[in-house]
Amino acid sequence: MTDRQTITVNRPLANTFGWLHVNGTRVEAPESTRALPLTLAAGEERTVLTEGADASLEISAELAEGAVLRLIQVRRSGGPAQEINHVRVRCADRARFEWYRIVLGGASTLDDCSVTLEGRESAFEAEIAYRLGGEERLDMNCEAIHLGRRTRSEILASGVLREKAFKLLRGTIDLRTGCAGAVGNEMEDVLLVDDTVRNQSVPVILCSEEDVEGNHGATIGRLDESLVFYLASRGMSPEEIDRMMAQAKMDAVLRKIPDAAIREALLEETRA
Amino acid sequence: MNEEKTRIEDINRAFYDFRFDDRDAYKVQSGLTQEIVEQISREKKDPDWMREFRLRSLDIFHRTDMPDWGPSIEGLDMRNIVTYVRPNTERMHTRWEDVPEDIKSTFERLGIPQSERTSLAGVGAQYDSELVYHNVREEVAAQGVIYTDLESALHGEYADMIREHFMKLVPPTDHKFAALHGAVWSGGSFVYVPAGASVEIPLQSYFRLNAAGAGQFEHTLIIVEEGAYLHFIEGCSAPKYNVANLHAGCVELYVGKNATLRYSTIENWSKNMYNLNTKRAKVEAGGKIEWVSGSFGSHVSYLYPMSVLNGDGARSEFTGVTFAGAGQNLDTGCKAVHNAPNTTSYVNTRSISKDGGVSTFRSAVVVNPQAVNSKSAVSCQSLMLDAKSRSDTIPAMDIRTSQADIGHEARIGRISDDAVFYLMSRGLSEEDARALIVSGFAENVSKELPLEYAVEMNNLIRIEMKGAIG
Repeated sequence: MTDRQTITVNRPLANTFGWLHVNGTRVEAPESTRALPLTLAAGEERTVLTEGADASLEISAELAEGAVLRLIQVRRSGGPAQEINHVRVRCADRARFEWYRIVLGGASTLDDCSVTLEGRESAFEAEIAYRLGGEERLDMNCEAIHLGRRTRSEILASGVLREKAFKLLRGTIDLRTGCAGAVGNEMEDVLLVDDTVRNQSVPVILCSEEDVEGNHGATIGRLDESLVFYLASRGMSPEEIDRMMAQAKMDAVLRKIPDAAIREALLEETRA
Repeated sequence: MNEEKTRIEDINRAFYDFRFDDRDAYKVQSGLTQEIVEQISREKKDPDWMREFRLRSLDIFHRTDMPDWGPSIEGLDMRNIVTYVRPNTERMHTRWEDVPEDIKSTFERLGIPQSERTSLAGVGAQYDSELVYHNVREEVAAQGVIYTDLESALHGEYADMIREHFMKLVPPTDHKFAALHGAVWSGGSFVYVPAGASVEIPLQSYFRLNAAGAGQFEHTLIIVEEGAYLHFIEGCSAPKYNVANLHAGCVELYVGKNATLRYSTIENWSKNMYNLNTKRAKVEAGGKIEWVSGSFGSHVSYLYPMSVLNGDGARSEFTGVTFAGAGQNLDTGCKAVHNAPNTTSYVNTRSISKDGGVSTFRSAVVVNPQAVNSKSAVSCQSLMLDAKSRSDTIPAMDIRTSQADIGHEARIGRISDDAVFYLMSRGLSEEDARALIVSGFAENVSKELPLEYAVEMNNLIRIEMKGAIG
């Protein structure tokens, strides 16, 4: 339980223009907020699965030297109408945090993941996949703060929006003074299926260190026409092509889940 | 081994830092009150609608909050800003010889009359709050092109056109400094290019702010009719003072069907300047707006030219370079709003930060539901030259149709060791290789300018490399 009545999720790390209205959302913290503190000892490896039974979840993890935390979080349409998901992780030297965030539906999902790479050569890998339809909303913040030397972050997001779905992803790579040799990459790929969807993307790089590299790229839109033409010439209908390419985007992320049982279950579920 | 880190010099500003004594003919008191706005309105002999517009804008200014999302502008105190300074000349001149001596000397040192003779179709020169010189070549005027100061146009045969367009693209409600502009604007240019006319060589307006603690609020209004072409160049500079100066100009561009407007800016305000400028273009079907922007000066800048693509097939291109040195916080970028089918926006920017300078690239691409088959590509690259500086990239995309192709890429880094190695393998010294890479980094803008201005921009950058490489 948390004693806070109101929490701010998806706070803006660096404000965009006021007129675009992508500021933070303040919501009441449900009574059922569950705090899940995790402490990993040096060299320890742990895999944690959360499946969205809680309307509000706060995970805070401390990773000691060389520890590896694999956090797999699945959100389904059958869960609570609104799910609030806070993740706070601090990584010591050579620690690694892998975050697999799979959103398969849900009326409203608010995610806020912030990872501080304090130790040398610590790493954060985010693999985000989402599939939204109807009037479902996903509002997501994912932040990598580089403090240690030669730290590394990779934020990869891939998703499909249908009908009147809404998605906002703010991905931030924050390269702070002292993180010499750090590299941060962010890549987003969004497939928009219907004309009534709405996608907002704010991929931010903040940099106050010289010897670093920050990259981000985004591809947003429909399927490539030449690809559609090729598949159609092989006898596939437009609906089959859409379904296959949407599944391919989910598969690309799901296949990276290291736990075989979880991976296969999710692959089966999404293909059903 | 005696090592010295590669050093890249700041832009040499001595060329722009000369100044003349403040021998203005008239200026209002510092601060912003209804009396001051009415006083400016009387000075300008405004028509009634403009006087009311100014007062309404002042009211909006007082009711609007300061922006809370960009660089700090705490050092800007409107109580200390003089909003209107009339230079020591009674009227605008069309013969260069008639311009008062010290004003003429200012622009001659900046090379304006020379440029007019060699490479421009017309020139406007603003000194503090008023245009002091305006001229356009006969052959350009013969095409029906109007290039004059906005105030003359406000009282002449184009009065109705001005009223129809003035601050309609950038209403005073847009933000606090748009409201300020609406209240105290003075000077600026009006350009009208009739349908089918093509102005092959550029027009230029040059804005010089000489008075300490003053603000410049010029308004540029350009209307390019169907099928016409215009290249307009805007230059700005000021000497450095120890008090804050303010520039809150406004640029409104109307690009007609199948027309093309290229709007180039070389901004080199002094480092005590708060540059809170607003630029916006509305583009009709098949039209094109091309922004070319070099931001080198100012203490603080908020500058995001916006393209509203309103007609089928309208296009926008934005090419920019920002160089932030010591004491500068330059927040620049652009916006593109796709409001019609088959519209295209392309953004290509570079920013360089050194000596504690802060540069921020901030962009927004909005694709509305009706903008089917639209395309947008944004590419921004930033170069950090030392660890004291800062470089941020904050792009936003808001896509409301599936029938759009949106691409974005950004990169922040330092000079690539691989590139240096490659150039050294071709026989360059490491020092020369680094100098070549840094000067080439800004080429996206210089190659878009007419040759004379590209040379001027390269002189402006004056990047020097010295010392052994550590």
